[in-house]
Amino acid sequence: MLACLCTVLWHLPAVPALNRTGDPGPGPSIQKTYDLTRYLEHQLRSLAGTYLNYLGPPFNEPDFNPPRLGAETLPRATVNLDVWRSLNDRLRLTQNYEAYSHLLCYLRGLNRQAATAELRRSLAHFCTSLQGLLGSIAGVMAALGYPLPQPLPGTEPTWTPGPAHSDFLQKMDDFWLLKELQTWLWRSAKDFNRLKKKMQPPAAAVTLHLEAHGF
Amino acid sequence: MAVPVPWACCAVLAAAAAVVYAQRHSPQETPHVQYERLGSDVTLPCGTANWDAAVTWRVNGTDLAPDLLNGSQLVLRGLELGHSGLYACFHRDSWHLRHQVLLNVGLPPREPVLSCRSNTYPKGFYCSWHLPSPTYIPNTFNVTVLHGSKIMVCEKDPALKNRCHIRYMHLFSTVKYKVSISVSNALGHNTTAITFDEFTIVKPDPPENVVARPVPSNPRRLEVTWQTPSTWPDPESFPLKFFLRYRPLILDQWQHVELSDGTAHTITDAYAGKEYIIQVAAKDNEIGTWSDWSVAAHATPWTEEPRHLTTEAQAPETTASTTSSLAPPPTTKICDPGELGSGGGPSAPFFISVLVTLALAAAAAAAGSLLI
Repeated sequence: MLACLCTVLWHLPAVPALNRTGDPGPGPSIQKTYDLTRYLEHQLRSLAGTYLNYLGPPFNEPDFNPPRLGAETLPRATVNLDVWRSLNDRLRLTQNYEAYSHLLCYLRGLNRQAATAELRRSLAHFCTSLQGLLGSIAGVMAALGYPLPQPLPGTEPTWTPGPAHSDFLQKMDDFWLLKELQTWLWRSAKDFNRLKKKMQPPAAAVTLHLEAHGF
Repeated sequence: MAVPVPWACCAVLAAAAAVVYAQRHSPQETPHVQYERLGSDVTLPCGTANWDAAVTWRVNGTDLAPDLLNGSQLVLRGLELGHSGLYACFHRDSWHLRHQVLLNVGLPPREPVLSCRSNTYPKGFYCSWHLPSPTYIPNTFNVTVLHGSKIMVCEKDPALKNRCHIRYMHLFSTVKYKVSISVSNALGHNTTAITFDEFTIVKPDPPENVVARPVPSNPRRLEVTWQTPSTWPDPESFPLKFFLRYRPLILDQWQHVELSDGTAHTITDAYAGKEYIIQVAAKDNEIGTWSDWSVAAHATPWTEEPRHLTTEAQAPETTASTTSSLAPPPTTKICDPGELGSGGGPSAPFFISVLVTLALAAAAAAAGSLLI
């Protein structure tokens, strides 16, 4: 069972509110967050490939399609289509923030066990980037005036390496972690696209219109 | 004289009786339908007749040679498609129909080819299939869609019979979809399946309404506009990026431009006077693959002189109507002696119009030498 000690993450230093004078709004930081998800997704592709090869077959086979067993505590990106559409901005951002907080924690756990130095290096680099994404999401939430999610007492995840956890099951957990991470990054790109469009000031739309007809 | 008439009467009556007898004693109304494999041998028994019964076989009304018979059974070797037809065997003497077989020569199905695609993400996806080679006999297809362990409904396409549609219930799923198809006919059965992630099958339809226009006063520019494919349901939340390619018709090599936003682009390095072919493709910003290329648009950049020789035959006043903003004023004005005498303002237009005429002449000469 994947579990994680992550008290550190939940108490990120409070992000100072953006300077409101001449404030272009949360738009640029949403764009930045979107760009970060793309960068991370790109980074993950090579990292996942290397890590799955390290796990060996069948995990690195493209047709590998196991049933989703175990890894119940992993934050799942999958969501009902209509529910996803109707998420309000605060909930959308909160879900992203909480998901990446958990995923980062699990990734750090992965790093602890990784065998080769090179893998540890790649994982560490990725964790740093993921931390940056978290900070970026936090910045957007602060700019919009939303409070950062705080963990409820008792639900704080703690690391407990299960005694009966076999090597194979551990690898399965690793597999699902990487899969869920990739899916979350795709989902976030869509989430931030939606936020971007909503935040876009109307003037921008008019300018684009003019440009299309001028020469 | 009176004698033949009663004989004719009797003959007709006898024939009528025979027909009625045959109809009432016909062994079967509908032919037996039989499917046989191409290239195989088949022996058709004449219903329940004894082996040594005297029968004649016909196919589609044509007699068959008796050397094909083995007793009362018809033997066909090395079946070909042409052997398909309605076979009937008759009692040789009474022409009484004993048995009918509708023979269909065909093949068992080979492994079907199945593919799935989402051009309406996030609404859903469709799967389509076909057989790599024909069976020549009717086939039935059965498609099942599994998402993890959940069975999903694949709704038949109203127009195409080898396509069905699945609606996404959940997005951003880590569990793969498995689509299986089984095809069967009277001679055999085959099946195949494909497994894929939600994101890998996303492929939009090509952009629509690609229009390329010359830009007035700009001989090296072409303005291209297009629309997002109408099948893409939500371009706001799922924006598309575009890939433009263009080349002059006379060259083989394409120029490429990738555009992350917007549905318009101005080409600024077109060869003057050359007709261009332009195409656009679309892709979801983050997932899936590029669409096919759009229908091609053709355009030639703006040129200074009239494009077609036929328009020069028109009166000079009318050449100013369409192409160029440098169209000269009517020639009468240029040669107006009244303008030559006065200085200052009125002379300026005359000067410009003279320059224009000279420029046009020079351009015409230059263009004439460039034209291939």
